Amino acid sequence: MRAILAIVLLLGIVNASEQFKMGEKIYKETCLSCHGADGNGNPHVSFIVNPRKLTQTILTQEQAYKIIKNGAHAMGAAADIMPSFKSVLNEEELHAVAHYIYKKFDPKAQERIDELYAKSDAIAQEQVEQMLKHGKKIYNRNCSWCHAVNGDGNGEATKNPEMSIFPYNLVKSLLDEKQMFLYAKHGGKYWGTRKEDMPAWGNKYDDYTLKSVVKYINVQLKGEAK
Amino acid sequence: MKKIIVAGLILSSALFGAEHVIDQKGKTFIPHAITVAVGDTLVFKNSDPFAHNAFTDNAANEFDTGMQAPGNDISIKVKAAGVFNVECAIHPNMLLTVTAK
Repeated sequence: MRAILAIVLLLGIVNASEQFKMGEKIYKETCLSCHGADGNGNPHVSFIVNPRKLTQTILTQEQAYKIIKNGAHAMGAAADIMPSFKSVLNEEELHAVAHYIYKKFDPKAQERIDELYAKSDAIAQEQVEQMLKHGKKIYNRNCSWCHAVNGDGNGEATKNPEMSIFPYNLVKSLLDEKQMFLYAKHGGKYWGTRKEDMPAWGNKYDDYTLKSVVKYINVQLKGEAK
Repeated sequence: MKKIIVAGLILSSALFGAEHVIDQKGKTFIPHAITVAVGDTLVFKNSDPFAHNAFTDNAANEFDTGMQAPGNDISIKVKAAGVFNVECAIHPNMLLTVTAK
């Protein structure tokens, strides 16, 4: 029985190692030109594409796989810069490159996210109705200028051609409530963007307010978009 | 003649209030604190290449500029005495403290 278990474990390690090698090969051939050898972006192209730093991700490996497969635009990004690779890579290759990126550049991402969230104020579930009301007020005042009242990312602020801001379509976002709260609290730069388009709202609002806004986005806006 | 002009300026200032320019530049209110008289006007400029939205929730002086495009000026009259904060709805680190006497 022990021998069988050892063989199963060994096979798992070999498979993970094979997947890592496959992902590494694809990354070097396909992703490195924008994201750089260290995952922090190729400095020679960063003035054009500004890729996110893969070393400071908020995504899970599964979410990274979905973005590589479908492209960032399909997942809510305004600019169509991170393309879809589903016509170039098969399922095995898509999973392999997501695995490689996650293990190579930010293996402790989930740990970091869980730790940060554990430090935030816990909110009782029975407060949901109050949170939705409060979240709507704050969302409409502070977030809708960029993300729009319906969350589709086409807010008033995007209509000024001088502004060059590219807010996310929140109703298409892959982020769950925990991730979205942490993103809003610490801002885009903390999570790997190069510009400070998405500010750190934790400097202004408490956890209850930010969790209320996220609740409003997830329950109300995503609900209306379905 | 000079005396008449000076007197006229003082009189018009007393009648219409003074203007105080508040620039919004580098996601900061410049200056970030100001003392004014009731009846004075705050002129919000936007020298950033993106929009701002100054507002205050202070009941006696409540205002909201709405979306202010780059290069636009918006004037707000100070209605009541007191100390109040002005924020930007888009940029959470912007804060202006107005003391109205």
